[in-house]
Amino acid sequence: MTQQIIPATPDIRLEGLSIGYGGVPVVSGIDAVLPGGKITVILGGSGSGKSTLLKHILKLQPVIAGRVVIDGHDVNSLDRRGLHCLRQRMGVLFQDGALLGSLTLGDNVSLPLREHTRLKEREIRERMMATLALVGLEEFHDYFPNELSGGMRKRAGLARAMVMEPALLFCDEPTSGLDPVTAAELDQLLLELKRRWDMTLVVVSHDLDSMRTIADHVIVLGDGWMLFQGGRVELEATQDEYLRRFLDRKAADRDTPLLTLPPLDMRVMKRDCSEYLEEK
Amino acid sequence: MIQATRARQLSPIAHLGDATMRLLGDTGAMFLFLLEAFGRIFRSWGQFSKTVRQVYFVGVKSVSIITLISLFTGMVIGLQMYYALAKFGADGFLGAAVSLSLVRELGPVLTAIMITGRAGSSMTAEIGVMRISEQIDALRVMDINPISYLVSPKLAASIICFPILTAFFDLMGILGGYLTGVLLLGGNSGVYWYRVGAYLKLNDISGGFIKSLVFGVVVCTVCCFMGYYTHTRRDAVGPEGVSQATTAGVVVSCVLILLTDYILTSLLF
Repeated sequence: MTQQIIPATPDIRLEGLSIGYGGVPVVSGIDAVLPGGKITVILGGSGSGKSTLLKHILKLQPVIAGRVVIDGHDVNSLDRRGLHCLRQRMGVLFQDGALLGSLTLGDNVSLPLREHTRLKEREIRERMMATLALVGLEEFHDYFPNELSGGMRKRAGLARAMVMEPALLFCDEPTSGLDPVTAAELDQLLLELKRRWDMTLVVVSHDLDSMRTIADHVIVLGDGWMLFQGGRVELEATQDEYLRRFLDRKAADRDTPLLTLPPLDMRVMKRDCSEYLEEK
Repeated sequence: MIQATRARQLSPIAHLGDATMRLLGDTGAMFLFLLEAFGRIFRSWGQFSKTVRQVYFVGVKSVSIITLISLFTGMVIGLQMYYALAKFGADGFLGAAVSLSLVRELGPVLTAIMITGRAGSSMTAEIGVMRISEQIDALRVMDINPISYLVSPKLAASIICFPILTAFFDLMGILGGYLTGVLLLGGNSGVYWYRVGAYLKLNDISGGFIKSLVFGVVVCTVCCFMGYYTHTRRDAVGPEGVSQATTAGVVVSCVLILLTDYILTSLLF
């Protein structure tokens, strides 16, 4: 096993993949190719198994059936050295950044360099500052994660994912919980990173605006299956009922009357606020 | 129907079997966890700085509470022993009684229990929070072994700190016995220190140290294990899971301290 285990823009192939927890499948029968050098967005509703799929691709969970093949290497049959080489060329942005709370931003970003390289402390610091500058956080290098906003934590997580110049970048819900402006900035940052480093990006999201901005290739999960894989234009043109509802943000037709709750009598409240409410 | 009834009749036995299998599985997993953590202490020079930080956290920050507890423990033993021994006209043996009970038993056990409460609980909580907030997953995808990064330095620090803090506990406890037995109740100072020196053998001191070493390994392994596997708990998930894991870590550690204390006392003395 050599350092060239991953070329610059590796493909990821999912072959007959069944994923889940404790042997219980969440999504079955996934056959897909995530093309190298492109941004693949894994789309789906809440609980559809998007993040679960990401965890299985990253080998954080064992697959139930099938294979995850990264540039011809079956991830599950890689030995320890192979997995080491693979993970050194991967960067992952977790949903909330997953920065180590006891380390400053600078130390978080420097961590992979300290653990895996022979760089001198001065070189590590230079590289750390340059990577933080990439995401606009160089002034915050001595802040702890809990002193930052959600958007800043995500950008810091992205800096940590980028510091080893990965060939593969995985992002789990990068825009969730962010305001539209910050979310758009993060999308632009991902596009810029891909353009400058020519890497393979896999983005898990349920943000349609984000998908429309960054996706070259889309996979849609739902109802325990992979419902779609293909280009963004193909997806937008689909006539599939579920996908159309998802893309047009239409609520599902339900027989259950949602607004027919029995009225809550104010007299059952433990504290009587009626006087205050009347005054108002 | 008969089968259903039989299944219901067997269910307590099945539950017992399930609990036994889980206990055996957890014990085996904990032992493998310990072996991996121990093996990774000496993996790289990078472990040294992490271990130093943990020595500060586990050891230095525990000094004040150990001082307080040991002094009062020694004072209480001095008080109780003085009155008991005085009834037989043997108050001159106070130094021997205080020092032997502290060095052989109370020092290692109380030190371990105090560090479990102060440092062990925070080990579980820290690792548990890291588990539920995906920080351990982040370490894994960065190809940083979480056991090596998080557990091994804590284990090394526990092996270093437990005996030192036990020695400190013993010294302060003997001083506490002196304060009550001699300064407060009027025992003879020279006799007190002479009996301490005359009756305390190297075997007693080394036995106490062996106990504290074992307790250090037990406490650190149990507390880190509980935190590391917080996400697999059946009784609670998320922050509640961390709190349950922390409680379990402290309770199981304390029970194991007393259990291993009995076994070690039988073997050592």
